[in-house]
Amino acid sequence: MEKSESVQGKDIINQLAVVLRTGHFHTPDNVAVLSAIKRFLELINPVILQDGMLRIDLIGEFFYINENRVRYPLEFLLNFDYLIREFKRRELGSLTFVSQVRQEDMREFLRIFINAAFSTTPFEAMEAALEEIDSIRVERLKHIKEERDVDKRRLVKKTYFNAVSFTRGIMQKLRAGEKVSIKKAKRVIESMVDTLLSEESLLIGMTAIKDYDEYTYHHSVNVSILSIAIGQKIGLHRRALTELGLVALFHDLGKMEIPVEVLNKPTAFTEDEWKLIRRHPYWGARAILKLKGLDKTSILSAIVAFEHHVHYDYTGYPKVRRPLPLDFYSKIVAIADQYDAMTSSRVYSRVPLPPDRALSVMMERAGTQIDPILFKFFVNMVGVYPVGSLVLLDTRELGLVYECNPLFADRPRVMIIVDASGKRLEKGNVVDLTEKDSSGRYLRSIVKTLDPNKYKISLAEYLL
Amino acid sequence: MVLTDEIKDFIQALIKAKKNLHLYPENNPVYIKTLDDIYSRLTSVLQETDSITLRFKQYDILYDTDVVYHNEEKDESFALFFFKDGVRELTFKKGIPKEEFEEFMQVISSDFERDLVDDDIVTLMWEKDFQFISYVVDDTILVEDENYEDEATEQAKSGAAEDDEVMKAYEEAFGIEKSEGINIVPLTNEDLKSIVEEIENDQPEKSGKLISILFEMLYLADGKAEYEEISEFLKQTVRYAVQNGNLEAVIYCIRRINDAFDKESFSQDLRIYLRGIKYYINSIGFVKKLGEVLDEGVEFTQDIISEFASLLDKSSIPHFISILGDLKNISARKTVISILSELGKKDIQLLARGLNDRRWYVVRNIIYILRQIGDRSAVEFLLRAVRHSDKRVKKEAIRALGEMGDVTAVQTLKDCLDDEDEGVRMATVRAIGYLQTPVSRKILLEQINNKQFKEKSFTEKKEFFEAISRYRDTEVINTLFKILKKRAFFKRAKNEEMKAAAAYALGLMKEKSAVDLLEKLKSSKNRLLRENVQIALKRIRDGKE
Ligand SMILES: [Fe+2]
Ligand SMILES: [Fe+2]
Repeated sequence: MEKSESVQGKDIINQLAVVLRTGHFHTPDNVAVLSAIKRFLELINPVILQDGMLRIDLIGEFFYINENRVRYPLEFLLNFDYLIREFKRRELGSLTFVSQVRQEDMREFLRIFINAAFSTTPFEAMEAALEEIDSIRVERLKHIKEERDVDKRRLVKKTYFNAVSFTRGIMQKLRAGEKVSIKKAKRVIESMVDTLLSEESLLIGMTAIKDYDEYTYHHSVNVSILSIAIGQKIGLHRRALTELGLVALFHDLGKMEIPVEVLNKPTAFTEDEWKLIRRHPYWGARAILKLKGLDKTSILSAIVAFEHHVHYDYTGYPKVRRPLPLDFYSKIVAIADQYDAMTSSRVYSRVPLPPDRALSVMMERAGTQIDPILFKFFVNMVGVYPVGSLVLLDTRELGLVYECNPLFADRPRVMIIVDASGKRLEKGNVVDLTEKDSSGRYLRSIVKTLDPNKYKISLAEYLL
Repeated sequence: MVLTDEIKDFIQALIKAKKNLHLYPENNPVYIKTLDDIYSRLTSVLQETDSITLRFKQYDILYDTDVVYHNEEKDESFALFFFKDGVRELTFKKGIPKEEFEEFMQVISSDFERDLVDDDIVTLMWEKDFQFISYVVDDTILVEDENYEDEATEQAKSGAAEDDEVMKAYEEAFGIEKSEGINIVPLTNEDLKSIVEEIENDQPEKSGKLISILFEMLYLADGKAEYEEISEFLKQTVRYAVQNGNLEAVIYCIRRINDAFDKESFSQDLRIYLRGIKYYINSIGFVKKLGEVLDEGVEFTQDIISEFASLLDKSSIPHFISILGDLKNISARKTVISILSELGKKDIQLLARGLNDRRWYVVRNIIYILRQIGDRSAVEFLLRAVRHSDKRVKKEAIRALGEMGDVTAVQTLKDCLDDEDEGVRMATVRAIGYLQTPVSRKILLEQINNKQFKEKSFTEKKEFFEAISRYRDTEVINTLFKILKKRAFFKRAKNEEMKAAAAYALGLMKEKSAVDLLEKLKSSKNRLLRENVQIALKRIRDGKE
């Protein structure tokens, strides 16, 4: 019962998207439109009959049907994204069917919905026009309140730092030759998966904070978070997400063997030091296999630890004599790893790249060093201007990208740190770049990006 | 108050159910009944309230403010069972489907004692993603260092920019070039499809991949200690692979070792370790592991089995013989037989030592294997096996000797014609017939012409005549005719049997010249004779076309 209910949820959302999509391309009397509507009504009317109503809410990036969150599988991803975008475009937050819906009601709704997009006040237009249809109600999209934001941020922060501190504990124990508990590691990853599913952008935002403690600890957690995020984007099941998060967390375990003086060296590495560095995948696989008996997780962790620098085209290290196709998880972790390493300072004595620059470097590597399709998922997730990017807006405001918007890759939420008059803002005000004025033009757009590292401007000050 | 009592009872029932479900497999009636009972108890409690929330203390379970369970025994306490992994609250909601409740029951009745289990109760519940069961977990048990967050925050903030640097950035911003963000290509259905395909093709059992990586690690390894360590990993991995029914990975490993010896240059040290791995795969320990897996019902394709067997060393032959006798599962034994049928070729003598096994069925299997291999050097061992005390073994040996066709076997076979067991004698007749030598023909004719011959049972007689029918020469045909014509006054029934068997043989030979003679007998009053003559006539006539 539980299963069939969730199947229905995703089918309803998908079918609604199908109705709207076909409605966009055809006249309302078109056969394709009519049959899409018919199918939609067949799905919703029985639920309305049973529960008295059917309410679809859009909260954050997720749909809820009668207050149950709808999980969506990969095959519907594009339709879901489309529907979220269309809802947001009309500032539509909830759609309620209060009684049995007739075919002509739905046709009329479709017409109103499509026309609303041309109005400068789409929600009001839709609300007024819908007065005549008894069975359908709409409510405006609620912008998540700042108050709740603070609480959520506190929770995300807690989960994040707990994971870093846990990772530090693991590494220190391993260095000392002590046993570590995989059970606990799993629990830590599970809490990250949970946080990611509900507060994806905030948690990814945490990965932009780099300058504290030893690089390897937060780097491991960041790679784990980014890998889980890719995994969730491609529709992995939650158990697989935990597994992915765990192997990503252990990907650099081999660095324990490299003397700290070398790892944290401020100057360039010597050839011998590079040799040590290049050995960490080998040491990592070894450390994992020594850690515990063989099982699915340890085998996968060892594989990923060994392969994460091999590269998609095998040009990386270690050089392999008889290449077998890289493991799927290795390819995911490699992308997360490269991105985090490139945007971090204190790593291999390189200058950190601004997030958007790192992305364009990686873009050039897509298809050679990194898997091109997985990378596509990755950029669609982090956006053109990833969290932490320093941007100048067309309003002469300077800001830091604070949260990405999965649906509008170049319109993230930005924290303004210098306002249009050139005044420094201590407590940044967050603006959403998808906001429009009454004539339908965007209020703000990004025109330039700067290197935040050059000015030591970091999200840490604002996010923490 | 009534509800509190009901919940008390429910918890007691839950504990009992947990034990039962742990003990019995899913399809067992006890399992099914236990589940039904506990589920209906829960639903009946949920009739009275929308949800029940249990709160956990170290040794107590509370409902509302009432203690509904108390037990301080560390190993037994149901409260501690949840409490120790951080569970503080557990809620069942009205409308919970049986399937979900069953999953919950399976979670709490799983074996948490086992060493290799990395999942605690919270992980298992989390993975199930329940809809009608919720829980509150205290994650402080996971916190390594309470102060970490504050320290890290402070450290991260300390590097923050001064105001003038922010303003510098602002000023410089207007001077720099306009930047183009990367061009984000939207995801297409093809992208989704290719990812879905990749996820589907991702094999969960990755020992093969790990083995290939371990070989790469061997190339990178530095010194004996590391060689030793990695070769230990390789041994563990092949063992793990076989445990998980992945014989391909083991095959891959042996091939890699062989290649290393044939094509690649390795240090002498490394060669020793590689040999060690091979030695391990051929050891009794590994073979026994494979046996256990087979006995659990894991099956492999014939191709995999033959490939695996062809890569084994002859030194493992005795180990396979040894497990052959211990396996309980028939298809497991078949698999081992097929391994030995391939592997045994490498050393017939070693394989033949299995004939000395004290278990008759093992001996019989070895004979079968020798027969499959068909190497004539096995004959000398088979000749001895013929004297085995168990007639089932004897029969198998006789059959093998017949099929492997060797004149040296004739004398031994002839002796077996006098065996006290009819089955053995019949197998012997068949084997002698199979040999197709003049000597065997002579033996058969002698037997048939012997005065005592007709005392044998009809089935045994028929066996002889069937054997002799392979020799289609005048002497044989005349002998058969003579039998058909013979009149008898005493022991008439036995005589008719002789005739019936002779007729049968002529039918097999499709002997046209026998038609007249057979026609005369086709309406005999003796049913046995009549039927056999009719069969023979039909064969001869059908054979004409
Ligand atoms: Fe690395
Ligand atoms: Fe890394």
